[in-house]
Amino acid sequence: MILIRGVTLFDGVKITEKPLDILIDGEKVVKIAPSLAVEGAEEIDGTGKILCPGFIDIHVHVREPGFEWREDLESCSMAAAAGGYSTVVAMPNTEPAIDSAPLVDFVARKGASLKGARILPSGCVTRERKGHLIAELGKMTAAGAAFFTDDGSPVSTSQILKTALYYTRDLGVRIMEHPEETSLTSGGQVNEGLASSVSGLKGVPASAEYIDVVRGIALSRDTGSPIHFTHVSTALAMDAIRRAKKEGLRVSCDVTAHHLSLDENHVLVSKFDALYKVNPPLRSKADVKALWEALGDGTVDALITDHAPWHNDEKDLPFQEAPFGIASLECSVAVIMDTWLKLGRPVSLERMLQLFTSGPASLLPARWGHLGRIEEGALADLTLLDLEESRDVDISSWNSKGKNCPWKGEILTGWPVMSMIRGSVFKKEI
Amino acid sequence: MNWRHKDLIDLDDWTREELNLFLEQANYMEELLNRPIKKVPALRGKLIVNFFFEPSTRTRVSFELAEKMLSADVVNWSSSGSSVSKGETLRDTAWTLEAMGADAVVIRYGAVGSADYLSRKLKKASVFNAGDGTHGHPTQALLDLHSAWKKLGNLEGSRMAIVGDVLHSRVARSNIKAFSKMGVKVILSGPATLMPTDIPSLGAEYDPDPRSAVKDADMIYLLRIQKERQEQGLIPSLDEYHLRYGATEELVSLAGKDALVMHPGPINRRVEIASEVADGEQSIILKQVRSGVAVRMALLYLCLGGVRN
Amino acid sequence: MPQEKALVMTQQDMFRILKRIAIEIVERNKGLDDVVLLGIQRRGVYLANRLKDLFRDIEEVKVPTGELDITLYRDDIPTLLEQPVVHSTSIPVDIAGKKLILVDDVLYTGRTIRAALDALMDLGRPANVQLVILVDRGHRELPIQADYVGKNIPTSRSEMVEVRVTELDGEDKVVIIERNEV
Repeated sequence: MILIRGVTLFDGVKITEKPLDILIDGEKVVKIAPSLAVEGAEEIDGTGKILCPGFIDIHVHVREPGFEWREDLESCSMAAAAGGYSTVVAMPNTEPAIDSAPLVDFVARKGASLKGARILPSGCVTRERKGHLIAELGKMTAAGAAFFTDDGSPVSTSQILKTALYYTRDLGVRIMEHPEETSLTSGGQVNEGLASSVSGLKGVPASAEYIDVVRGIALSRDTGSPIHFTHVSTALAMDAIRRAKKEGLRVSCDVTAHHLSLDENHVLVSKFDALYKVNPPLRSKADVKALWEALGDGTVDALITDHAPWHNDEKDLPFQEAPFGIASLECSVAVIMDTWLKLGRPVSLERMLQLFTSGPASLLPARWGHLGRIEEGALADLTLLDLEESRDVDISSWNSKGKNCPWKGEILTGWPVMSMIRGSVFKKEI
Repeated sequence: MNWRHKDLIDLDDWTREELNLFLEQANYMEELLNRPIKKVPALRGKLIVNFFFEPSTRTRVSFELAEKMLSADVVNWSSSGSSVSKGETLRDTAWTLEAMGADAVVIRYGAVGSADYLSRKLKKASVFNAGDGTHGHPTQALLDLHSAWKKLGNLEGSRMAIVGDVLHSRVARSNIKAFSKMGVKVILSGPATLMPTDIPSLGAEYDPDPRSAVKDADMIYLLRIQKERQEQGLIPSLDEYHLRYGATEELVSLAGKDALVMHPGPINRRVEIASEVADGEQSIILKQVRSGVAVRMALLYLCLGGVRN
Repeated sequence: MPQEKALVMTQQDMFRILKRIAIEIVERNKGLDDVVLLGIQRRGVYLANRLKDLFRDIEEVKVPTGELDITLYRDDIPTLLEQPVVHSTSIPVDIAGKKLILVDDVLYTGRTIRAALDALMDLGRPANVQLVILVDRGHRELPIQADYVGKNIPTSRSEMVEVRVTELDGEDKVVIIERNEV
């Protein structure tokens, strides 16, 4: 039995201001009360910290199978738990791409029995992620797929996306669309605007994201099926999603830690350091501001990392030659909370915490519906957050194999200090 | 005044004062070109590697001449049969160059940011950017500045019209920086398909009509139009380009007879420039070439000559 | 700031010495035919101009006078404190067959003169080269001697001899300065 004493509790929806004691027995939260006395329980002092449901990141590139030198299920699980997450969703753009039930099953089984965070599989929308034919979405649903996505690319044609939306309507698994109109982004490297103009690099226009979001909204309307847009990075696309939500469409979206904290100036000021190369690209300052507004007004449903680990040999190249991606699983919570603090808390703390917990949980299939909240009898997936903890991003201590982190060495405030998965403490730094 | 730069990646952090000193130094270097013996021993014993991974005859030859006139030891490492074509990364190449004892590397490389990257990887050697993709070509800008300054004197308050494919032009990007630092107002012109989206961020203005753009210009700078822009569909045809944006005698006459006509070369006759203009009295295209050697001598000498603490 | 230790030449001394040297040059060259003055950048240039004026006054001859920058020929750049920027070289006549009078302010290690001779050889083939020096302070590192010496001033290596000319420094004088060890 573990007793966490004197914490501020965030139960997935709201914060209880008065300190509470929480008792965990086995895999479950068994008792929540102002003051508990339990003999023989291991005690954790939670004074001044916030106890939250285990954080959920629905967008992580685990790289296994096929690219285990960049990351694998084991290292990713440890990295996620160290970063404050108890559940992450693996993207299917591996080698082979996860486009069939046996492959989903492989990730689901291995992902459920790791030392750190659990890893849920997602499957491709199309076979081999090639965009020609829809994959066996029903079989993959049965095998435990949490999302269907061709992430890395958008679903190739409107017709295939429409088919997939119809087909998944009663499966209960959402399509996660990587919004990018590729005929506008081919060869693109940085945001179209300041960064492309100054660098001469091909720009990735905001309209490319907007057009694909509008396509997805229209097809969601046509099919009556929900759609989720991932790593939304522009004010333009956010506006379209906001309007669709107002219309009552089942449209959702997420935003990455880097798009909330970095902008295209970082590419220029760093003199083209490839650590800032990511897709979608770091956007304008105005876009970053719009993303924060969208967090506050309910347009955004979840915060993600889009953790994309690379081996240094692959990433340490001149900007134009380097691959896209930032590794952030072990610092993303602090990156977001530090930015939130520096901006003067532009969004309520409750809202921020929802976006790490109940927000993403609501997007998962019903079998994971119990995640993202704390109550007596709930699974003890917990994250203890300390908004006063300041420390540097020390990539040398990371569990992740990917060290391609633009915040390395930076001092950030607001860290997860303990993760509990299924009742066992992963990390205890109190 | 102490010369504080060891490298030249781009001209962002050069001040006007430094540019003025530099232009003067380049003049003295040009003096050397008139001597019976053009070689001086200033960089004797320095090893300079010309690392060229894009075809470039002019820039490489110009650098090589400058290096040889200053008595540096020169090694040309270019793309044919090189390790990069065999898949070696620039990082490994950088470490190889350092191990060979290079005092300076002149780099021409297709990827934006490659010169910045190389300078981060090299601990001691100077890095001179001879063109990194579509981003920068600072020695071209310096030689353009030098040849214009020699003709016009103080450039403060003068106007330069840059006409052509600004979008893909490292020459334009570096020139806008260099000339605007000297107080020149830069106006860009050309089809909107060949313009960057955020022109004010470059410190220039855009005028879609080349006729009004060149009006009252003291310098008309024509950019080279690559044939592939037509293949990419960014311009309908080279002929249409010439008709609408080419530097014809008529267009140049709108600027007045004292305006200088400039081009980084090699020129495409009857595309961005008519022969009558290229070979005409207002053209200083060949003077630009001559300035190129002098400017690169000044650069190498200032950054490599002497010892810094 | 380095301290002025001793005044070794006043404006009047400088004038007298240059006048004496001018006369010596005329004597040794039996007139001023084919004589070309060449001042070494930077202070040598001004001293050469003084000699040119003296020749005009004494002999009523206009001696061709040029300036020589030897920066690019130096081998002692690492020991200089300031970044050596290049100055103008301009030589008014073809030096082939001419009697070149090289003028510099201080003769010390001899390395400047070595560089100047290298530079001259690249510019043409004079009949002969003669050297005028305002102050010879010793400590030679190369076998070089001046033909005309204003004044021999024994110094220690920690001292500096500073020749000041009105055109650059606002006054004509020569002082010894103690180098402040940092």
